[in-house]
Amino acid sequence: MTIDELNKTIASIEADVAARLPDVATVDALRGMETGVIGKSGSLGALIASIKEYPPEQRGAVGQAVNKAKVRVQALVKQRLDELESADESAEAGRSSTFDTSLPGSLFPMGSVHPVTAVQWEIERAFERLGFTVEAGPEMETEYNNFEALNIPADHPARDMQDTFWLKSGMVMRTHTSPVQHRSMLKFGAPLRVIAPGRCFRYETVDASHETTFHQVEGLLIDRDISIPNLIAMAKMLLAEVMQREVELRVRPGFFPFVEPGIEIDMNCQICGGGGCATCKRSGWIEILPAGMVHPNVLRAGGIDTDIYSGFAFGVGLTRLAMMKYQIRDIRVLNAGDLRALVSPRRLSGPILERGTSSTACGGGD
Amino acid sequence: MLISINWIRSFVDLPKDIDPRDLAERFTRTTAEVDALEPIHIDARGLIVARVLGVDELAESRNLRCATLDVGNGRTVETVTAAPVIRVDANVVYAPQGASVKTLGTINEAKVAGKTSVGMILPGEAIGIAEATQDAIFPGNNLEAGSPLAPELFEDWVMEVDNKSITNRPDLWGHYGVAREIAAIYGLPLKPYPVVSMDELSNPASPEIEIAIADADACPRYSALLVAGVATQPAPLWMQLRLGHVGQRPISGLVDLTNYIMADLGQPMHAFDADKVDRIEVARAKDAERFTTLDGMERHLTTADLMIQSGGRSVALAGVMGGLESEVAESTVTLLLESANFNPATIRKTAGRLGLRTDASARFEKSLDPAHTVLAIQRFIELARPMYSNLVLKSRLSDEFAKTSQPVTVSVNPKHVARTIGHELPTSEIVNILKPLGFTVTEKDAELSIAVPSYRATGDVSIEVDVIEELARFVGYNTIEPVMPRVSVRRFEPNAVHELEQRTLAYFTRVHALHEIHGYCWYDATWCRQLGVDPEQGVELANPASAGLQWMRRSMMPSMFAALVRNRFYFPEVKMIELGSVFEYARPQDQQFRNVGLLSAQRGKRAEHNLYNELKGSVAGWAWEHFGQSVTFSRAATDPHAIWQHPTQTAAIRLGDVDVGIVSVVDLALRRRMDEHLGAWSIAFAELRLDQLATMGRRIESLESIPEFPRVDLDFSILVSKTRAYAEVVDALTAIEHPLLQRISFVSDFEGDAIGADRRSLTFRTVVGANDRTLVDGDAGAFRTAMEQHLTTAGFEIRR
Repeated sequence: MTIDELNKTIASIEADVAARLPDVATVDALRGMETGVIGKSGSLGALIASIKEYPPEQRGAVGQAVNKAKVRVQALVKQRLDELESADESAEAGRSSTFDTSLPGSLFPMGSVHPVTAVQWEIERAFERLGFTVEAGPEMETEYNNFEALNIPADHPARDMQDTFWLKSGMVMRTHTSPVQHRSMLKFGAPLRVIAPGRCFRYETVDASHETTFHQVEGLLIDRDISIPNLIAMAKMLLAEVMQREVELRVRPGFFPFVEPGIEIDMNCQICGGGGCATCKRSGWIEILPAGMVHPNVLRAGGIDTDIYSGFAFGVGLTRLAMMKYQIRDIRVLNAGDLRALVSPRRLSGPILERGTSSTACGGGD
Repeated sequence: MLISINWIRSFVDLPKDIDPRDLAERFTRTTAEVDALEPIHIDARGLIVARVLGVDELAESRNLRCATLDVGNGRTVETVTAAPVIRVDANVVYAPQGASVKTLGTINEAKVAGKTSVGMILPGEAIGIAEATQDAIFPGNNLEAGSPLAPELFEDWVMEVDNKSITNRPDLWGHYGVAREIAAIYGLPLKPYPVVSMDELSNPASPEIEIAIADADACPRYSALLVAGVATQPAPLWMQLRLGHVGQRPISGLVDLTNYIMADLGQPMHAFDADKVDRIEVARAKDAERFTTLDGMERHLTTADLMIQSGGRSVALAGVMGGLESEVAESTVTLLLESANFNPATIRKTAGRLGLRTDASARFEKSLDPAHTVLAIQRFIELARPMYSNLVLKSRLSDEFAKTSQPVTVSVNPKHVARTIGHELPTSEIVNILKPLGFTVTEKDAELSIAVPSYRATGDVSIEVDVIEELARFVGYNTIEPVMPRVSVRRFEPNAVHELEQRTLAYFTRVHALHEIHGYCWYDATWCRQLGVDPEQGVELANPASAGLQWMRRSMMPSMFAALVRNRFYFPEVKMIELGSVFEYARPQDQQFRNVGLLSAQRGKRAEHNLYNELKGSVAGWAWEHFGQSVTFSRAATDPHAIWQHPTQTAAIRLGDVDVGIVSVVDLALRRRMDEHLGAWSIAFAELRLDQLATMGRRIESLESIPEFPRVDLDFSILVSKTRAYAEVVDALTAIEHPLLQRISFVSDFEGDAIGADRRSLTFRTVVGANDRTLVDGDAGAFRTAMEQHLTTAGFEIRR
C-alpha cells in the first residue's frame, strides 16, 4: 500500500467506527468492537503490524498516522462508553425509586430573626446607604438624659406623656430612644447623621395595642440649613423602604418638647388599607413617626452651635411598623416568645402546599 | 378634652351645613389630633317642660315613685319615675304621650307598679347628658309648664382632642381658644368673648376684698368678687346640655356655672361662703398640716403645698380643690368668687403627691394666662345675670396682680422661616396667618417683631421657632413638597457593641438556625420561684407593671425557659436566641450588660450532650468568625444565682483571658420544675456577654500558601480515664516539639465496650511534613514513634 492508500484505509476505518458506534447497545459489544478495530488482528491493529513493510524512511510517518488514528478511535469508543454507562446508572436509579422532578427538596433548617429585628435591619441598611451611623444607648437611663436634656423639665406636664418606669436608684427605664440624640451629639458633634434603634419602656396597661416594652428607632440629622421638607422626604423614604412600596402620609402638628415645630407623620393603615379598622381606631391612619425640628434647647444641651446648625429628629415606632408590615394584630405576641406567632411557618416546616400551583411553591417566606 | 361643636358655634358662625368630620380632620391637620368624633343625636320629638306638683311613694316599689305634673294648659298627669331625686315645684324635662327620643322610642301610657303612668320624666342619659344617667334634669323655673323644647337644643357633635397633644396649649383647654383655632382654619371671624364690662365691676363705692399674696411666684395673680342673690337654682337647660355633652354631670346652678366657665375659657374658679371666707391670704401650708378637702378626705400637707387661707385658717388647697368647711351651702347668702393664677409646677407637685388630679389642677399645671382671672369673673357675671334676677355685687372686683407678666415679643427672621419650611413666605401671608391667632406683626428692618397674645405667652410661644411652627401648620404640612437634605460627609466611629450584637444575631440565626425571640427585661418572680431561683437580688423597679415584676433580670435564661415551655407542645425541637439587657445591683450606680441567650432543646432524653456539643461548636464558630480566635472551654465555677446551670456540666467559655459566658445543660429536676413534660426532653443552653468583647477587634487570619511538598496525616488515639479532661490531654499533646509537625486537630471522642467502661478514647490528627523537602521513607514512622514516646512519657496510653 502506498502512503496515500494507507491514509484512505485509515479514514475509512474511522468512518466505519463512527457509523457503527451509535448502534452499539452494550458495554460488552463496545469492547468487542474496540478489539475488532485496534486489537492486534483488528482492522487498525493489523496496519500497525504492517509498518515494517515500508521503507525505513517512511516508517515514522506511517507509524504516526496509524497511532493518531488509534487515539481518535479510542476517544470515540470512550465517548460511547460514557453514554452507555451513564444510561445504565440512570436505569439503575430508576429501578430503585420513582424519580419525580416535581417533589420538593429536603427541608433545610432555617433560623429567623424577630419581626422587629427584621424591620430594624431594613431601616439600618436604608440609612447606612445615606451615610447615617447606627448608635445605641442604655435601656436604663439617667433622668437627665431621658428628660432634662430633651427639654422636659421636672414638674412639667409633658412628663405625663410618657408614663415612666422608675428604678429604686432614681434611674429610669428609658421611655423613648431620644436620649441617644443627646448622647450622639456629645459623642460626635455636628454635622451628624445617626439612627438609634432600641427598646423603650412605658408604664402602660398591656392590651392588644399597648405594651410596656416596645422598640423605636430614633433618627437625627444635624447639618446646615435643614428643613421640614427634608424631614418629610426622609420619613417617606424610610416607610417606603420598609413597606416595599410607596405609602400615603398624613403630616400634622404634634407636641413633643424636644422638637419645634413638632409633627406627627401618619401612614395609611396597612391592615385595612385606610378604610378603618380596630388597629387604626377606625381612622384609616396609623401614628407611626413622631418627628420635628430639633429644639434649640436640645441642640444646646448637646453642645451644638445653633447659629450654624439646625436639624431634625424622628422616632419611628419600630414595633408598630413591624406589626404593619407583617400584619400582626396583637402586640402581645411580640414579647411572648411563641414561635408560632413569630416565625413564618415556611421556615419551621418547609413549603406550604397551595391550591392551583402544579409545582410546590418553595417558600422563601420571611 | 371634649369639644362640643354647638358650643364652638356660639363663638364662630360656622356654616350650617359644615361636615363635622371635615372640621375634625382639618383640626387634626392644623392644630391637634382629634381622637374621636361622635354625634349626639337625640331626635327629640314633642318634649316639653313640666312642673312637679307632688311626689308620692309607691307601695309596690322602693325605687319608683309617682309624680304629679303640671303639663301646661291646666292639665295635670301622673307619671311613674325612677329618678332618685324629684323636687316639688321644680321644672323637669317631660315626654308626653306620643313624644319620642331616639334611645327610648315613642313614649306611651303604661301600667307601672300598679299605676297608670302617663308620659315620662326623661332621665339625663336619654337626652344627651350621659353622666346624669337616671337623674331627672331640672331646666330651671323660667319656663312655663307646657313650654315646648326645641329638638335642635339636644343635637350636637362632640370631638375628643387628645389631651397629650395639647399639653403645651393652655388656650385649647377651653372652647373659646378652640373656637379661635377653628375660626382661623376656616378663615371666619371670631366673635369677641361675651363678658360684662369692667366698669360694671369696678364701682369705687363698693368695698374691696383684702387679698394678701405671700409668695408671688407661686400665685402671680388672685382676683375675687363678692356676689349675693345667687339662689340655689338650676342652670339653664342649654348650659346643662353643653356640660353634659362634654362629659360633665349637672350639679347645681352655681357649680355648673363655674364648670361651664372652666370649659369655656379654661379658667378654673372657686366659690367660698363669704360668711366663712371674707378675706384672702395665699401662703404655703404649715408643715404636717391637715386639711379636709371638699370630697371629705383629710389631706396631709407639707410646706411645699400652696394654700388659700382666710384669717390664718386654710380654706382651699390652691388650684386643686376647695375645703369642706368653707363650701357653699343652701344657707349661703353671699359668695366669695375666686379666680386666680398659680405657678404650674407648684400645683402639679401638690396634685401629684396627693394623687388628686382635678380638672382645675390639670389646667393650672399647663400655665394659664394670668389675664384670664379677671376675664373669667366678667364672664361669670355675664352668664349669671340672666340666671339670677336678684344678683347683687357686694364688692368691686378685687385684683391682686402680685407678679405681672411681661408681654412677650419674638423677633422672626423671614429667612429662617423659609429655611425651615422650605420656601419663602411673604410678609402679607405671615400676617394673614398670625393675626387671626391673636399675634401682632410689626415689620422692623429685615426682621418681623411678633407680639404674642397673653394666652399663648405662658411658655407656649417664646422663641422664633415657636412662631415658625404657627406658620408651618397653617401653611399646611401636607402641602410641603419633600426634598432630600444636602449634607456634609464625615466619618463616624462605629458603635462596637451594637455591631457585634447584630452580627451575633445574624450568625446564630443563619448558621445555627436559631429563632430569635424577645422577652421582658424583668423577672417574673412567680416563675423564678417555680424554678427555684431567687429573683430578689438585683436592680429593682420602684413602680413595676404589677407585683412580682419588680426585679430586673440578671440573666436571659429564666424567660427563655418560659418560652420553651410555651413552645414545647407544638414543636419537637426548639432552638431560640435572645439578645438583651441584664442588670446588676451596684453602687454608686447599677450596671447593665448586653447578653445573648442560646437555647437548644429537643423532645427525647439523652440528646443533651449532642445539643451541648453543637452549641459549643456553634459558639466556637461564632468566636472564630468575629474575633479570629479560638474559644476554650473549662469547668465553670458555680454561680449561686444561676441555679439553672448544671452543677458539674457547665463549661466556662473563654476567649484569651476574657470570660465570654457559659454553656450548660438542664438537669432532670429543673426540667420537671419547668414543666412535667420537659422531663422527657433534652435541653442545652449557653449565655454570652458581649460588652467586653465588643472592643476586642478581630485578629486578622492570614491564609496559608499551598504546601510545596506533600504532607501526610497521622492519627493518634489516646486512651484516658473518663475522669481526665480533654484539656489535660491537649496540654500534654501540644507540648511536643518536632520539626515535621505542622499542626494538630481534634477528631473525635469515643466511648464503648471495646475500651472498657471507665475509659474513653480521644483521637487527634497530626499533619506531618517538611517545608524544604519531600518526606522520605521513615520520616512518618519516626514521627509516629516520637509522638508515641512523648505521650507515653506523659502518662498516656496509646490505642492501637
